[in-house]
Amino acid sequence: MADRYSFSLTTFSPSGKLVQIEYALNAVNQGVTSLGIKGKRPSSLATLSFQSKSNLLSATNGIVLATEKKSSSPLIDPPSLSKVSLITPNIGMVYSGMGPDYRILVDKARKVSHTAYKRIYNEYPPTRILVQDVARVMQEATQSGGVRPYGVSLLVAGWDEGIEPPLEGHDETGAGRKKTEETAATTASPEIETDAEQKLRKSGKTGGVLKGGPSLWQVDPSGSFFPWKATAIGKSAASAKTFLEKRYRDDLEIEDAIHVALLTLKETIEGEMNGDTVEIGIVGSPADHLLGYEGVEGAQGPRFRKLSKEEIEDYLTNL
Amino acid sequence: MANPMSIIGKNAVAIACDLRLGLQALTVSNDFPKIFQYGPDVFLGLTGLATDVQTVSDLFRYKVNLYRLREERDISPQTMANLVSTSLYEKRFGPFFVNPVVAGINRTTGEPFICGFDSIGCIDFAKDFIVSGTSADQLFGTCEALWQPDLEAEDLFETISQALLSAVDRDALAGWGAHVYIVEKDKVTKRLLKGRQD
Amino acid sequence: MVGFDFSNYNRNAALHAQGVPLPKATSTGTTIVGCIFDGGVVIAADTRATSGPIVADKNCEKLHYIAPQIWCAGAGTAADTEFTTALISSNLQLHALSTGRTPRVVTCMTMLKQHLFRYQGHIGAYLVVAGVDPTGVGLFTVHAHGSTDKLPYVTMGSGSMAAMAVFEANWKGTLTRDDAVKLCSEAILAGIFNDLGSGSNVDVCVITENKTTLLRNHIKPNERAQKERNYRFPRGTTAVLNEKIVTREELSKYVTVHELSSDDDVVVVEKMDVDG
Repeated sequence: MADRYSFSLTTFSPSGKLVQIEYALNAVNQGVTSLGIKGKRPSSLATLSFQSKSNLLSATNGIVLATEKKSSSPLIDPPSLSKVSLITPNIGMVYSGMGPDYRILVDKARKVSHTAYKRIYNEYPPTRILVQDVARVMQEATQSGGVRPYGVSLLVAGWDEGIEPPLEGHDETGAGRKKTEETAATTASPEIETDAEQKLRKSGKTGGVLKGGPSLWQVDPSGSFFPWKATAIGKSAASAKTFLEKRYRDDLEIEDAIHVALLTLKETIEGEMNGDTVEIGIVGSPADHLLGYEGVEGAQGPRFRKLSKEEIEDYLTNL
Repeated sequence: MANPMSIIGKNAVAIACDLRLGLQALTVSNDFPKIFQYGPDVFLGLTGLATDVQTVSDLFRYKVNLYRLREERDISPQTMANLVSTSLYEKRFGPFFVNPVVAGINRTTGEPFICGFDSIGCIDFAKDFIVSGTSADQLFGTCEALWQPDLEAEDLFETISQALLSAVDRDALAGWGAHVYIVEKDKVTKRLLKGRQD
Repeated sequence: MVGFDFSNYNRNAALHAQGVPLPKATSTGTTIVGCIFDGGVVIAADTRATSGPIVADKNCEKLHYIAPQIWCAGAGTAADTEFTTALISSNLQLHALSTGRTPRVVTCMTMLKQHLFRYQGHIGAYLVVAGVDPTGVGLFTVHAHGSTDKLPYVTMGSGSMAAMAVFEANWKGTLTRDDAVKLCSEAILAGIFNDLGSGSNVDVCVITENKTTLLRNHIKPNERAQKERNYRFPRGTTAVLNEKIVTREELSKYVTVHELSSDDDVVVVEKMDVDG
């Protein structure tokens, strides 16, 4: 009887399930493990100029996306394969599940970030908006005729400019406040937070101003999406998450986050770990050397970049 | 029909408009403001055909409300400027007869911001002042003379008010009082000016 | 941009027939030039935008970003140059991401001419396209109707004759980077001082194989002198009938959506079925 509901996606089974979506999740759970870890957020950057902001951030925090690049045959040429992708200069993405489906979603995500956002507001979408748009694409495949759901779960990592909400469990009026004063003094920036902004910071309300900083999202074939501090998807997601629960701390710097990511992968990886079999993308401080031009006021390099084979191997030797 | 204008000061912006609504030489109303608010510190001034002023102001109320719901934040003046620009350019071959002016303070950077547009969405980013409407030519003159950098909010008010009143007094199609908004980091002051009623 | 919206077209035509004047678009009267040199290409522009006889913007930007190594100088209708280059830049970036290659100047030029030809000259964008790609240095002009030229030195806009005179007098077959910057700047200066549609400052963009440098306001020959006296009015000069002050704090009383403070934020709206 249940089989009768296995073919038409637009039909619920009597128990309220759309089994094709569950099958899609099964495809994800057979896929190679991918994981994401959000590193420490800088304590207070609200009114510093862009210049002093990037100095302060200096690669100490951000997000890591990591996955295993598995070759089914030794004859495969690894460099031609890429699983971690740039979507916008500040947003990157990785997947577990079906590669071909993923590449379609990468194209659609890039396209939608332009058509539904950049061509209207002349800026790239904030991470949550991009995630919502990609999730809509995936949801539509669960409700449309003649299509099947996407057989992938995604991890989307991004950085948004804006006032950042205070850190959870941290006394913002203490350490964070002091740091702001110090940086304001050293950079000789005349801008000090207004009273209103200080109030916002204390109350934890950003008053509708974009809540900036790093964010990490998971998107499932059903189109549902969740924010995480650290998570894993794919074959060994459960054990990787248990590992991450033990290793994760709120004050992980990005270097430490990369370290934890590699340790987690090591637990799940089957073959050898090297620069060819591991892929890492980071969202960190703006990489102005990747901008490709100079002299444009306010222009900032991409925050998302993939680590080179050499960089990965450096991290692996220090493991 | 009549003229919003906007000027920039030290940590503050001012945006002002006269209050006349006219049909060629016939004055229809002397209480027709042309400045609209789209967030705690984002303002849009609209000159041109009155029907389009209303249509366009409503269109942006719709677009900005949807933006706020979707993004859970207020629109910044820069984003507003780009939204206005793309919305106008969409109608490149059947434009609205309006010349908008955007003024506001960016809450993330704390910087004041002004800009103006032609009817098909070309943005004029200015570091000093923006003028628009029937007395734009006169306003260019008064602003070039009266504007100076780093005006404090109170001085900004006197400067924009005198620039506007001087200009509309030499424009038969404008005047009948004026509204002036001074936008600062933590407050907005709206004043009604006494102007000639002829 | 999916396409244009013509919904006001008939209304505007009817209004025009009744004598309502059509709105004036900002145009970049403009002098723009480009010149290749050994190892790269330079483009340059003036910074005046006009609306009829009025100077609408004294320091506008006419050098548009397409890709890191491809830039465009625009003349004609200002909105058209801005949006056409932005559209092509967007499409070219998506193309570059999906192919994993740096975009080529000919690709950019072809996309521009196909777009402009489709609109039969109604999109009034006159462009100088320049860049460096894996095939070498590229310098083209694209006209609003879709025709293109490939030349070692080019000029466009209302100041093009003044600028071309400088090129014809001083251009050489071999130029260094600095020679090319100087030659282009002088061509723009010729436009600034001899063409009424051009004015203010000189913007330059230098593109080589290794890097792109935008020299915004490279030469500023028309700086306004500091005013000797100021026209600051004494506070209280202007007669005010009515005043209303709204502070941000007061405003928050009228906000109906509040963020929850961290101690009572345990509102579960939707169950997370991550592992469920």
